[in-house]
Amino acid sequence: MTRFILRRLFTALVTLIISSFLVCMLIHLIPGDPVAMMMAQNSAPSPEQLAAMRHMLGLDLPLWQQYFHYMGRLLTGDLGRSIFGSEPVLTLLMERLPNTFALAFAGLAIAVGFGMPLGFFAAYHRGSWADSALMVFAVAGVSLPNFWLGLMLVLLFSMTLGWLPVAGEDWRSMVLPAMTLGVTYMAIIARMTRSAMIEVLGEDFIRTARAKGLPEGIVLFRHALRPAMISVVTIIGVVFGYLMGGAVVVENVFSWNGLGRLAIQAISYRDYPLIQGFILLFATIIVVMSVLLDVAYAWLDPRISVQ
Amino acid sequence: MADVESPMAGLLAVEDLTVAFGRGSSAAAALRDVSFALRRGETLALVGESGSGKSLTALSIMGLLPTEGQVSAGRVLLGGDDLLRKSRDDMIRTRGSRVSMVFQEPMTSLNPVLTIGRQLTEGLQFHRKVSRAAADARALDLLRLVGMTNPEARLKQYPHQLSGGMRQRVMIAMALACEPDLIIADEPTTALDVSIQAQIIDLLLDIKERLGTSILLITHDLGVVAEMADRIAVLYAGRVVEIADCLQLFDAPRHPYTEGLLAAVPRLDLLVADGADRIRLAELPGSVPSPGERLSGCPFAPRCSLAIERCSAEMPPMRTVAEGHTAACWVRAAA
Repeated sequence: MTRFILRRLFTALVTLIISSFLVCMLIHLIPGDPVAMMMAQNSAPSPEQLAAMRHMLGLDLPLWQQYFHYMGRLLTGDLGRSIFGSEPVLTLLMERLPNTFALAFAGLAIAVGFGMPLGFFAAYHRGSWADSALMVFAVAGVSLPNFWLGLMLVLLFSMTLGWLPVAGEDWRSMVLPAMTLGVTYMAIIARMTRSAMIEVLGEDFIRTARAKGLPEGIVLFRHALRPAMISVVTIIGVVFGYLMGGAVVVENVFSWNGLGRLAIQAISYRDYPLIQGFILLFATIIVVMSVLLDVAYAWLDPRISVQ
Repeated sequence: MADVESPMAGLLAVEDLTVAFGRGSSAAAALRDVSFALRRGETLALVGESGSGKSLTALSIMGLLPTEGQVSAGRVLLGGDDLLRKSRDDMIRTRGSRVSMVFQEPMTSLNPVLTIGRQLTEGLQFHRKVSRAAADARALDLLRLVGMTNPEARLKQYPHQLSGGMRQRVMIAMALACEPDLIIADEPTTALDVSIQAQIIDLLLDIKERLGTSILLITHDLGVVAEMADRIAVLYAGRVVEIADCLQLFDAPRHPYTEGLLAAVPRLDLLVADGADRIRLAELPGSVPSPGERLSGCPFAPRCSLAIERCSAEMPPMRTVAEGHTAACWVRAAA
């Protein structure tokens, strides 16, 4: 188990190094002169101003030096300064991070907390009308774009019923964005759980458990749930990645003051240091989450955790 | 309860068991009027080709038929109780406690995420309401009984850490946990290597000897039958066609299907030389009718070289041809 975790941490580190390299080079992928585009908002910068900006960003150095500079600063926690407002990027990101985390985990909690039991129920009652209804709902959930769903929820709960605020900072204003995020991924998780459960319920060892005379509850919860969870956990990792991406959209729909809104602002102002910092932070969050889920996976499956 | 303690008293009686798949007019009978009896301490082998209904018979006794299958007639009497009339909860209390089952595939029949100890003790804890410690102690005894080395360590291991033969020993230990009267062994050796097969057969024989457990052995392997069975029931297309003591059946089979089955067993001394360098096994012409086919007469008639007109018109009844030997054939078991 320890060896598995160490190996997993090593691959995570490699992924992060590759992402940092891509992020550092990102600025060169932009067509045209990034510095000129960045400064285009200030009416026609002089060549001196451009050169000074290039020097400040380190863009006048050879590529490999740029990367080592970037990494060197990165290791001391320096992600550069935002071009607008000139605050440290790290400070800006850390201010917003808790809001995005709260939203993403609330969304994940809704997705997993409702998706898994629904999928479990549908699998056990496979072929019943309840199963069909749930799966129709799941297809709808996956197909609805979350910005549209978000707007519809606002229309219903805020405008028509007046139960929840459209935007704000407290927990009540988090309900709608979290629901918007959650419903989409709940549908995916429900479908995955259902098919994983159906597969497990057809296994020989489930027949063995029944042949032992175990009551159905023990057969389902002790014998079927854990093996089914193994494949669902893998999907949760993938879903979490999508969910973080979805959070960017949803935050903007609901004016939720998180990283996603900051990112959109950064993009529209071409604030490259901030965009780079945002991408690197997102990559780190997703890598860390996938390591945690792999550890959970190994814990659930003794074929991995017991050498 | 009509439980009689005399050693050779009847334990299990299956009477006119009929199982159909599907509903209404599309229903196809997979088992028809299957009847046989098993005495205490006896091993009865159910023999037949795949699709003859051996495993379905076992699952019907256990009350574990797939949902599409339905028992449409018959009785399954275990020590006098009709298992087919039991409620769901009663049946749960019977399974694993009075009848238990050993399955064919030891590789997939154990839960991969639960320890051997857990899987051995959970039945005991549920059926016998014993403490965890008592169940663990019993699990150790069981592992010793089935000849597992280092039983203490095995309790904490997972199935993937054991070989196929060891997993089958665990399956047998699990089946024995609550000291059932009857063990149904469905192809217990088929998935194993030949050398391991012999060990498992020896183990089952030893258990029967020591504990007096009755065994309903389901197999298509006549070699296993010859080593283990006291009596044999031959199934063909969902019907019992012949029942006899093991020796009697091998020496003097009466039903043409049984004869064909025995002739198809590879035996070095009986191989028929066909041409210079090819050796052929005797084979039965044709194939088993599918459950959907409605045959009014003997299901074997289309493949039988002895068939007379009556065979395809009317199903022959089981008739006694010698003491303890019955067969269903108009030609070979005529009144």
